[in-house]
Amino acid sequence: MNGGWFPMKWKVIEKSKLPILIEELTKEYEVFAPVKEKNVASFERVSPENQPSLDFRNTKKPLKEVFSPQTETVFTYRTDKKDVEIVEPPAVKGKMVLLDVRPCDARSFVLLDKFFSSGEHKDVYYLERRKNTTIVGLACNSPLSTCFCTSMGGSPFGKEGVDLLLQDINNKYLIETVTERGEELLKKFPWLKDAEKADTERAKKLSEEAENAVKSKVSVKDVVEKLDRMFNDPLWDQIYQKCLGCGVCTFLCPTCYCFDILDEEGKRVRIWDSCQFPCFTLEGSGHNPRPSGKERMRQRVMHKFNYVVKNYGEIFCVGCGRCVQECPVNLDIREIIRAISARQVE
Amino acid sequence: MSNPYIPNLAVIRKITRENEANDIKTFELVSKNPEAMKNFRYRCGQFAEISVFGAGECPIGIASSPMDEDYIQFTVKKVGVVTTALHNSEEGTVLGVRGPYGNGFPMERMEGRNVVIVGGGFAFTTLRSLTKFILHEANRDRFKDLTVIYGARDPGELIYKYDLEAWGKKDDINLNVTIDRAFPGWTGLVGLVPAILKEVAPSSDNAIAIICGPPIMIRFTMPVINELGFHPENVFLSLEMKMKCGIGKCGRCNIGNKFVCKDGPVFAYKELEMMPKEY
Amino acid sequence: MENIENSIREVAEKLLSEKKVDLIIGYEQGTLPLRTTPCFVDKVEDIKKLVWNASCDANLSKYVLGRKEKIGVIAKGCDARLIAVCAIEKQFPRENVVIIGVPCLGVIDRKKIEAKLGDKEVLEATVEDEQIKVKGEGFELVLPKKDFLCDSCLTCKHRNPPICDVFVGEKVPENTEADEFAEVSDLEAKSAEERWQHFKEELSKCIRCYACRNVCPLCYCKMCFVDQTMPAWFGKTNDLSDTIIYHVVRAFHVAGRCVDCGACSRACPMDLNLRELIKKTEKIMKERYGYEAGVSLEEVPPLGEFKMEDPEEFIK
Repeated sequence: MNGGWFPMKWKVIEKSKLPILIEELTKEYEVFAPVKEKNVASFERVSPENQPSLDFRNTKKPLKEVFSPQTETVFTYRTDKKDVEIVEPPAVKGKMVLLDVRPCDARSFVLLDKFFSSGEHKDVYYLERRKNTTIVGLACNSPLSTCFCTSMGGSPFGKEGVDLLLQDINNKYLIETVTERGEELLKKFPWLKDAEKADTERAKKLSEEAENAVKSKVSVKDVVEKLDRMFNDPLWDQIYQKCLGCGVCTFLCPTCYCFDILDEEGKRVRIWDSCQFPCFTLEGSGHNPRPSGKERMRQRVMHKFNYVVKNYGEIFCVGCGRCVQECPVNLDIREIIRAISARQVE
Repeated sequence: MSNPYIPNLAVIRKITRENEANDIKTFELVSKNPEAMKNFRYRCGQFAEISVFGAGECPIGIASSPMDEDYIQFTVKKVGVVTTALHNSEEGTVLGVRGPYGNGFPMERMEGRNVVIVGGGFAFTTLRSLTKFILHEANRDRFKDLTVIYGARDPGELIYKYDLEAWGKKDDINLNVTIDRAFPGWTGLVGLVPAILKEVAPSSDNAIAIICGPPIMIRFTMPVINELGFHPENVFLSLEMKMKCGIGKCGRCNIGNKFVCKDGPVFAYKELEMMPKEY
Repeated sequence: MENIENSIREVAEKLLSEKKVDLIIGYEQGTLPLRTTPCFVDKVEDIKKLVWNASCDANLSKYVLGRKEKIGVIAKGCDARLIAVCAIEKQFPRENVVIIGVPCLGVIDRKKIEAKLGDKEVLEATVEDEQIKVKGEGFELVLPKKDFLCDSCLTCKHRNPPICDVFVGEKVPENTEADEFAEVSDLEAKSAEERWQHFKEELSKCIRCYACRNVCPLCYCKMCFVDQTMPAWFGKTNDLSDTIIYHVVRAFHVAGRCVDCGACSRACPMDLNLRELIKKTEKIMKERYGYEAGVSLEEVPPLGEFKMEDPEEFIK
C-alpha cells in the first residue's frame, strides 16, 4: 500500500481536546499514560488523581512492566500438608490502552512478543495482557542525544508495535491508524476530524527532521558475526572493570526479560532478575559458570547482540538510551558496540 | 493457551535413603490425578521441576524408567532451600511436578548399537533411568552390548545399591562399579571413573557413549573417550545449570544461544565443542 | 582545576613509570555532558586520559578491593575516608594502595540540574570557576555552581582527604560552619507517623536494582544478606514490605562506617533520597561515641569494639 493518500487512515485532534478523548477512554479501558511526579515521568494508570503529562521525553522505567510486572503472582496455593490447592490468578479481564508510547518502547513489545510466544511453552501471563492491549504511540519530534533507535532498526516516527501513532504537528496531533485494532479504537470517537493534506505533509517533514536529529549512531553491521568469534577475546577483561554489577541497565532495558521464581507463604511469585547479579547462575553445589563481572558483562552483550539474533532473528536493543543515561558509572553500551565493531578478530 | 507454570500435584508414596551420609534420597511420587499420570510420558534423561510448596521449585532428573508406568522417581541431593525442604518432607506430602522437560537421551541413535554409560557420583540418576530402560525385557534386544561404568567416592556414597546388585547378576550388561579409593570391606573395583573406563576399554565400534558426572570427572573422562576412538557426534553429555522455569523463559540456563533446559540437558560432544565454554 | 588535573597526571605518571604501582584508577571524560567515568590506566601513554573536575563523582574506592596489583587511586576526601575504613576492616593489603589525595570543593548533582531544566536536555556543559554553563536545543543558561552541588558536599567537613599517601595541589579551607545534620534534624522534628509516611512514599519507588549497594565501597560482602537463601531473611520482590527491610538493614550495615559520600543517592535511577536514613546513624555515632569514620587508621570503629566507658543507658 504505497503512494496515494488514504483519507480514512488519518485523523486529527486538537491538543486541547486530547484530555476529553482520554477521559472517554477511561470509561471503557484501563488507560496507562506517562504521569509526571517531580519531573520524572512514569507510566501510571490514568485516574482523576493521575493525569497524563504530554510533555515528556521518555519514562524512566520501560513499559515492559505493564505486561510483565516486576513482581507478579504466578499462582496462590492453600495447603494443609495432605493436600494442596493451586489457584491460578484471575483471567485478565478488561482491555488496556497504553497511551503515548514512544516508538522505541513500542518496538520493544514486538521483540518481547517474539520471545514470550516462542517455543512449545508460551508465557500466558505476558501474552494475555498483551492481547488485551491497544498501543497508542507518540512519535518523537525531538530525540534525545542518547537516543540511537535508528541504528537499532527503529525510528522516531516508527510504527512497529503501535496500533495508532500520535504525531505532534504543533497545536494538533495527527492520528495515524496502523492496525485494525487501532481502527477499532478510533471508531469509538466518531467526532474526530479527518486530517488534511497539510497535516500529513507537516508530519512527514517532522518525521524526516526527527530522523536526522538522531545524532547518536552505532553500527551493528558486523557486530553479530564478530561476536561469534569473540567469546575468549581479551576485550572483555577491559570492558567490565568499571561495571558495578548492579541491575540498573537490565531493569531499565525495555527488552530485558529475565526473571526469578520464588515461593512465599501462600504464593509463588516471579520477579525481575538480572544476569549482572552474582547469584543469577550460582548453582546449589556452589559452582558458578559466571563467577565474575567479566563473564556476566560478556553474557549481557553476547545475549543481546548475538544469542537472541540466532534464536529470534533480532538484536534485543531498541536504542532507547535509558541504560546510557542511568548507568551510575557511565558505562556506555554504544562504546562497547563500537569497540566490538572496531576489533580485529581472527 | 495452557499455563506452563502451574504444577501438577503428586504425592510422595515412598522415600528411600540412598547413601550413608543420608543426604541423597529417592522420592517415589504418584500423581493425584490418574489422567495426569498417564499423560506424563517421558524419555530417559529428561527432568521435571519439583515444587515443595512454600519452599520453591527445583529441576531434578527423572530417575525412574519410562517403563514404570504408575509412579515416577526422583533422586535428590540435599544442597539448598528446596532440596532441604524436600528431605524434610514425609511420605504423604503433596508436591508439585512440572514437566517432563528437556530433550532426554537420543534413544534413536542408540538403537542397534553398543551403549557405553559412564556416570559419577550423584549424577548417575538419569543414567539409572536409561540403564533400567535398556535392560527391560521389552527393550533389550533393540540395543547391543551394554557397558556401564559407575563410580562414587566410597561405598557409602553409591546410590541405587539395590539396582546395582540386581544388575550384577545379569549377563546382558557389563557392569563396572568402582570407588575412588580402597575402602575396608570393599572387594569391587577401585579407581576413579576415567581410570576404570580406560581399563574396561569398551570398543567405540558402532557405539554411543553417554556420560554424566561432576565437571571434574567429565574433564578427565573425555580424553579417555577420545583415545578409545569415540567420535564427538557419538558421545553425549548431560549438563547441569541453575534452572528456574525449565521452559527456556527465565533466561538463566543458557550456554551461548542454547538453553540447557530446552535444547538440553543432553548435548552431543560435537555440539558442545561449538558452544562457549560457560558451564 | 586545570592545575590539579595536570598535577594528578604528573603524580600518576611518576608512580606508574617508577613501577611503584601497576595500575592507576582515576577518572576520564564520560560520554555525556557533566559526566566522568572510572578509568583504569596501566600504561604511561594513557595517563593523559585522566581528568579532574566537578563531575568526578564516582567513588573510586570501590575498585580498590579484590585487586592483586599495586594500585594508585585518585581519592577525594570522602573516597579516602572510605579506603581508610576498608583498610581498618582489613579488606585489602594497605601497602598495595597509594592513596592520591585530591582536595575537593564538591561534585555537581546532575539530578538538581535535571530538575531545574525539566525536559530540556543538556547537550554541552562547561564548568568555569563557580559557574556551570549549560547549552541545549534552544537554550543557554549559566547556573551558580553552589546551588547545584550534591547535598552531601554542601556540609562536607573533609574537603581535604584526612588520610592519603600523596597529596595533590593546595589544601582548601574546610567548611566549619554548615550543620551537617540539618536534614536529620528536620526528619527528627516530624512525628513518627509523618516519618513513616515519608519513608513509605520514598521507598515505594525502589526497583531493587541494588545500584546503591553496588556503588558503595562498604558493601563488599561476598554474599549479601539479600541473596542468602538459607535462611532467606526477607523477600526479593519490589513490594514495599520487602523493600523497606532491604534499605533499613543496609543502613544498619553501614552505620558507623558511612562517610556520606552521596554515591548511593547519585546512583539511584529512581532518584530516591537514600542518604537521610543513613545520615541519622551517622549523627548517632557522632553524638554517642564522638566517632567519625575514616579519619584515623588507628581508631577501631565503635561498633567493632567495646569500651568500659561506653554509654549504656539503654540497659535498664
